[in-house]
Amino acid sequence: MKCSLPLLPFNDEVMITAESLTDYIRRAIPDAKVSVTDRTGAMDHFNIRVVSDLFKGKNLLDRHRLIYNALDEPMKDGRIHAVEIKAETTDGS
Amino acid sequence: MADPIMQEIEEEIKKHKILIYGKGTKAMPMCGFTRETMQFFDRYGYPYEIIDVLPNPAKREALTKMTNWPTLPKVFINGRFYGDTDVLEPMEKKGELEPLLKEAFKNG
Repeated sequence: MKCSLPLLPFNDEVMITAESLTDYIRRAIPDAKVSVTDRTGAMDHFNIRVVSDLFKGKNLLDRHRLIYNALDEPMKDGRIHAVEIKAETTDGS
Repeated sequence: MADPIMQEIEEEIKKHKILIYGKGTKAMPMCGFTRETMQFFDRYGYPYEIIDVLPNPAKREALTKMTNWPTLPKVFINGRFYGDTDVLEPMEKKGELEPLLKEAFKNG
């Protein structure tokens, strides 16, 4: 994914932490192993790697859609401006 | 009467074998990821088109609904949606992209 469009007024003083990003993802993908790295230091551009066997049998587009849906709220309120996503199963496929 | 925005999108997708909806233009990409997607395709040497959706929020929203994909850029190859480089790069690693592009440009 790349740049999202914050629809709600930009809420810049509230930054999202890696923990709450992980919580958002785990609500949709409970067994997910999530690693988050801040790409720019501004805590709104993230590399997110999600490993889960929920992805088995899902193509890449659908795996990423799962993650976007999980992150819908922080993307809409501007806490997340951009992410790069890796979505793999536990055996790395 | 079909939605004019959807008609416009469908025509664009048919017309351009590699089509990137993004921010800014080829000459002046306005977002690092749009530029990154251009560079990704530059390595293949096939022609591609950038369509700037920044000035057209209604079109941007229509694209988001149509693809169920909330972000930009959005890449279409041979009329089909492929997300962005987060999807194209793993496809490339698995050798799935080259044949797709060859097929798209096979009859010129």
